[in-house]
Amino acid sequence: MTPKASGKQEEKIIDTTRQAVPFNTGNIPGPKMARAVMPAISGKMLAKAKRPILIVGSEIDDPDVLERVVALGKAGIQIASVGDSYKYLGDKGLDAHYVNMHALASYLCDPEWPGLDGKGGYDLVVFFGITYYYASQAISALKNFSRMKVISIDKYYHPNADMSFGNLRKDVFIEALDEVIEQLPNKNSR
Amino acid sequence: MTLKKGSFIIEELENVQINIGKVGAKEEEIPEGPTPRPEIIGLRNWDNCIIDRYNPVYTPTADTCDYCTYGKCDLTGNKEGACGIDLEGQSARQALLISIMGSACHSAHGRHLLNYLIKKYGEDFPIDVGPSNLKAPLTETIMGITPKTIGDFIPVLEYVEEQLTQLIAATNTGQEGSSRDFESKALHAGMLDLLGMEVADIIQISCLGFPKSDEKAPLAEIGMGILDPKKPVVICVGHNIAAPAYILDFMDKNGQFDKIEIAGLCCTAHDMTRYNKTAKIIGSMSKELKYIRSGIPDVLVTDEQCVRADILKEAQKLHIPVIATNEKIMYGLPDRTNDSVDAIIEDLVSGKQQGVLLLDFEKVGELVPKLAMKMGPIRKAKGLTALPDDKEFKLLVAKCTKCLQCTKDCPQSLPISDAMAAAVNGDLSLFEILHDKCVGCGRCDYSCPSGIPVLNVIEKASQRVIREEKGKMRIGRGQIGDPEIREEGRNLVLGTTPGVLAFVGCGNYPDGTKDVYDIVEEMIQRSYIIISSGCSAMDIGMFKDKDGKTLYERYPGRFVKGNLLNTGSCVSNAHIAATTIKVASIFAGRKTKGNWEEIADYVLNRVGAVGIAWGAYSQKAFAIGTGCNRLGIPVVVGPHGTKYRRAFIGKPYKKENWNVLDGRDGSVVNVEPAPEHLMITAETKNEVMPLLAKLCFRPSDNSLGRAIKLTHYIELSEKYMKKLPDDWHIYVRSEADLPVAKREPLMKLLEEKGWKIDWEKKKIIEGPLRKVDVSFQPTNVSRLCKEAKK
Repeated sequence: MTPKASGKQEEKIIDTTRQAVPFNTGNIPGPKMARAVMPAISGKMLAKAKRPILIVGSEIDDPDVLERVVALGKAGIQIASVGDSYKYLGDKGLDAHYVNMHALASYLCDPEWPGLDGKGGYDLVVFFGITYYYASQAISALKNFSRMKVISIDKYYHPNADMSFGNLRKDVFIEALDEVIEQLPNKNSR
Repeated sequence: MTLKKGSFIIEELENVQINIGKVGAKEEEIPEGPTPRPEIIGLRNWDNCIIDRYNPVYTPTADTCDYCTYGKCDLTGNKEGACGIDLEGQSARQALLISIMGSACHSAHGRHLLNYLIKKYGEDFPIDVGPSNLKAPLTETIMGITPKTIGDFIPVLEYVEEQLTQLIAATNTGQEGSSRDFESKALHAGMLDLLGMEVADIIQISCLGFPKSDEKAPLAEIGMGILDPKKPVVICVGHNIAAPAYILDFMDKNGQFDKIEIAGLCCTAHDMTRYNKTAKIIGSMSKELKYIRSGIPDVLVTDEQCVRADILKEAQKLHIPVIATNEKIMYGLPDRTNDSVDAIIEDLVSGKQQGVLLLDFEKVGELVPKLAMKMGPIRKAKGLTALPDDKEFKLLVAKCTKCLQCTKDCPQSLPISDAMAAAVNGDLSLFEILHDKCVGCGRCDYSCPSGIPVLNVIEKASQRVIREEKGKMRIGRGQIGDPEIREEGRNLVLGTTPGVLAFVGCGNYPDGTKDVYDIVEEMIQRSYIIISSGCSAMDIGMFKDKDGKTLYERYPGRFVKGNLLNTGSCVSNAHIAATTIKVASIFAGRKTKGNWEEIADYVLNRVGAVGIAWGAYSQKAFAIGTGCNRLGIPVVVGPHGTKYRRAFIGKPYKKENWNVLDGRDGSVVNVEPAPEHLMITAETKNEVMPLLAKLCFRPSDNSLGRAIKLTHYIELSEKYMKKLPDDWHIYVRSEADLPVAKREPLMKLLEEKGWKIDWEKKKIIEGPLRKVDVSFQPTNVSRLCKEAKK
């Protein structure tokens, strides 16, 4: 029984810890793989972070997914828009910046990087909506060569993150994103 | 009497044997230049210069090391293993190993050809690559010699082989431990790769009558739908022309081109068409399994490189005999080299043997057409194919349970189950889309718990599009000739031709073959010079415009802006890299011999050339890219390129990394980040186009050139990313650098950024990092500065 389900029979149960195996079958990096977490945990960590960054990529073209990206952005989280995702975000009034994912992985490992806005580095990386294997490889740099905490809130299990959802169906994924957003103090800016 | 190399015995002088090595050997040319035949340490300073600016970025696929029996060691978080190596060092060691593998592959290909061609034509056979004085730019720059005959390449390959052995030794446990020095060695291996490729292609161009810098090389047919399956079909797979050349000669001599269809898969196809324009091309390695399973081939001939490891197993199922012609790939087949052609044919036709190893090319040439004539009617009568019939197809697609295991095992994560569901309802359109995106690896077959042969189902459903898959590719032209460089070199260095984009490498594209066509079409319309080779060159020719014309039919093949060139097979990549050396030599008068560092420094700072390997999969592609990096050429790889584990990425925010010297007086000049990266990936084709434009910036651009480059960078970003690039202003040194059509609005934006503008004169007063200086001589090598020379 999930925490959320406790005593609330009418609510749909979302368990994002199931199917916590690498989405690409062979993508097993080593002994340390992401802890599967519930959305509330990811959301609370995001809420507590002093300077988080949300990375989104080319797979945010789905309207339901895009709506959640915008909600996270409007809740005050700066967005690193990788791939060609900026074309979906540029007109939404968000603090979104284009950056190449591979370069971003390099910069995030560098304590001297001034950040996307020149205001300093970040203390938490959250991501979703990036080509699976591309994201997995890029964050392997952060896992091994930085002290950055990395949380995947993608619909795929990402072993190279510190925390990740399991592999999710789209409807569960969208509900999980909603639960993440629910934890944010400025969520009502949507 | 002419003395020849070899051994002979003089009559009446018992027990006397005279051995003759090089007969009448010319006095061996003394290597020239500051760094001829550089050993591992020879260019280390240059490598460090590169690495300091373009930091190696490691993206490990595994956090463990199992190279020795101390392990497996867990290196997660950059921990050290039992031998003392940390994950950074291990990742760099892997980069070196990948680079060595690729380099060895091309160089061994060159060695095989050199031995064969010397045996056939003699060491003194002259080099002839077309209208050029600088015939072997990489050989001159690395070795410090000017080869004139194919025999002159013997010491070149000996050098490559010796250096590769030294590099392999460095990867053993208990050897190198520094990631920086591993990277220097990887760059060395990459440079050796370029050299090995140059040898391989120059000797085959010279001896085998390939096009020689021919901008008007004819067009060849390409595609899975080009062959007449009613005729006996021979398919040659791999990269080495030696054996297929004999088959083509035999068919030509016996007038069999109208009786037998012969085509190639992967780079062998390139070189078959260069050898005999009657040959045809099926396509890249992605088509290999698909075409075999179609059952159309009646004989498969393999040589080396990019041949699937399961080709014999797949062929056996359809009674397609396999003729292996190269020691590198023997599949455990019996060596029938010394047997008669008729005996071998009998055993293959009867099915007594599924394939043979045959290393005598004369016999290969005779056997293959004869075998095809016998196998063709037998196989076609039986209708052998791995593809299901219509009834079986319906049953198979209905078996799909949508478990998504195929998607999880697919390199491209293709939505196969959606296509299965649509096909149940008679809609094959999703499968037809998958056909182009599918790289034909067959991993899905293994993964399906319901036992659906997924690849066969995709191919069966795509028969309509496969029949229409007929394109044209201009046959590989070889080098870029000196006269073309003379004509275009100035435009390149000043920037008025926005750049040279080299589309190279394999077919592991993230979203299908069409992406490459789309990118090339966009960039060629913007007057970039497009050079291609290998599988990319093939895939560019697979698509047509509304008038039914391929890009090769629409754009000429000269080395000038807005042209589309195909140099040829994988080993022809050497000519693309060598083109930048030619620019430095012919346009700028730089000495090439034994002068890698100066040439590479020139290329890095002045020649706007970028490589793009959008579907790179092999170690060879990584070695080529790494070699280009050492020569100062940036390379962009598709998203799968992160699995190479190492990139060279610049940090534009570290101003001190972008200092160069002015060659006139040795003064330090802080320049814009140009080129910003040396090896990097992009996620999508939309992202890669502005990135390519940006990587063409060079500190030497004059204002007109910079304005042209900036125009394309801004326009491509606005078109495909829906935004003005965040960093466009960094590349502005004066108002003359701004795109003419957008000068005023961009100046307003600069003013908003705090720049001072004189609106009356429409001039930038304050803001740019530096001013335009047409005499500026950017260099990263202090000894090249005039003050230093004094």
